[in-house]
Amino acid sequence: MTTKTSPTKSAQVSISASGVTKLYGDFAALQDVTFDVREGTVAAFLGPNGAGKSTTMKILTGYLSPTKGSVRMAGLDPVDAAQRLVLARRLGYLPENGPLYTDMTPAELLQFVGDVRLLGSALPRAIDRVVVQCDISSVMSKPIAKLSKGFRQRVGMAQALLHDPEILILDEPTSGLDPLQIREVRKLIRELGKTKTILLSTHILQEVEAVADSVIVIKSGRLRFTGTLDELRGQSTLEQRFYELMDKEAA
Amino acid sequence: MLNFNFSVVGALAKKELRQFLSNPTGYVFLTLFIATAAAVAFLNDSFFSRNLADLSTLNKAMPAILMFFVPAITMGIWADERKSGTDELLLTLPVRDGEVVLGKFLGAFGIYTVGLLFSLANVGVLMYLGDPDTGLMLSTYLGYWLMGALFVAVGMVGSTFTNNTTIAFILGALGSAVFVFTGTESWASALAGATLIGEFTALCYYIIAGANAFAGVVAVVVGGSFIALWRNQLLEWFADAFAPLSATAHFSSFGEGIIRLGDVAFFVSGTAVALYLCGLMLSRRHW
Repeated sequence: MTTKTSPTKSAQVSISASGVTKLYGDFAALQDVTFDVREGTVAAFLGPNGAGKSTTMKILTGYLSPTKGSVRMAGLDPVDAAQRLVLARRLGYLPENGPLYTDMTPAELLQFVGDVRLLGSALPRAIDRVVVQCDISSVMSKPIAKLSKGFRQRVGMAQALLHDPEILILDEPTSGLDPLQIREVRKLIRELGKTKTILLSTHILQEVEAVADSVIVIKSGRLRFTGTLDELRGQSTLEQRFYELMDKEAA
Repeated sequence: MLNFNFSVVGALAKKELRQFLSNPTGYVFLTLFIATAAAVAFLNDSFFSRNLADLSTLNKAMPAILMFFVPAITMGIWADERKSGTDELLLTLPVRDGEVVLGKFLGAFGIYTVGLLFSLANVGVLMYLGDPDTGLMLSTYLGYWLMGALFVAVGMVGSTFTNNTTIAFILGALGSAVFVFTGTESWASALAGATLIGEFTALCYYIIAGANAFAGVVAVVVGGSFIALWRNQLLEWFADAFAPLSATAHFSSFGEGIIRLGDVAFFVSGTAVALYLCGLMLSRRHW
């Protein structure tokens, strides 16, 4: 397993959240969350289940709007309807659990996503590229409902990569995969991270060490840490530091 | 509306059509619809005793038939997306909410249109038995088509409330029932009015409160209050106020071979209002 501890590759901020709060009635899913992700880096959004990772990702992609605070993705505001459209063309998103139209085949799904993204004559080549990238050529004509979890996740990745986005948001991309599939997905993320800004959510510490340049730690909707992997580790192990951060909140 | 990209709308409509027609349930629906329409049109004494080559017996029953069949098309249109989480995938693609609403509407309306085209077999039977008036048949089918558009849009509103397709079907049928039964009797108009007000209040509650837990209770309490006031003669105008919303009445002229602009406007504007409500429900996730 490769450990990625290199410093940020660029000074340009690609993803920025400032004082983001999301309320559902009296319940605060996110409270005053602020972080930046620099262009061309892989950032891991780390936290236990229910920490607010998916809510943050939904806000970053423009699916939800924050109650307070602001978000910038490649300089665009996803809350503004017109800017969200421009952003969506530059953004690839794999939602949590990789929801897909299960009655379609991967070929039909990619065709549909490509049609909606208006890829036109570039679509066949784009499909060929993501089929190789995600290694799904053997299942292209099978209904998604009949695919294994691993293949479904790969199909989800393929639709997110179809338009060769500059930013990728991946919500628990290795969730439910077996160790071999996890290794493949991490390898793909590392490969993509050479040219794209990636924000992935996870609650697996090994995943952070394997792919991330920087880390954002969140618990109960509150930011616990943001910085590089080395800064998070300090003088101890990642696991120790993570549990310290989790306990600190409880204290 | 003018900013809509119709290639995107077309792709979305095609997906809905394909999903419905690639499912055996879709063909069961189409078969049942055609069989029911044919049975109502011809399997009764009045059709033969009248000795006229028209569809007047079907015209009387068509609003009630559509009240049940159209929500069967629309029940899953939002409910299934929410249940499977694909709404998140769809709404983070470069599409406007309005394009999604219009695309889904055109897809569902396309399915209904396919069913209606198959039911043209009824006209074939009339041509075999007699000599039906072509203009009358055209206006009758235009009426069916426009009424179907309204019920598709109303059914779509019902589907935005829930991720349960059965509940979405019931809400769609209830919404359509308002337009079917209002204007037939005073009590039916009052009941339809109370249902409409109740549903509208539930919609407002759902939008403001952000949860549908008590939306049904709110609808029943508000709708029931209006009925109680009307029964106690405190709101005598109440029943009459909702009679003009009768889809049955607005359709009747089409069944007589007359195309009135007001009737066309009723169905088109009703469809537009319902689609606007769909868009409103969709944008609620940002509030």
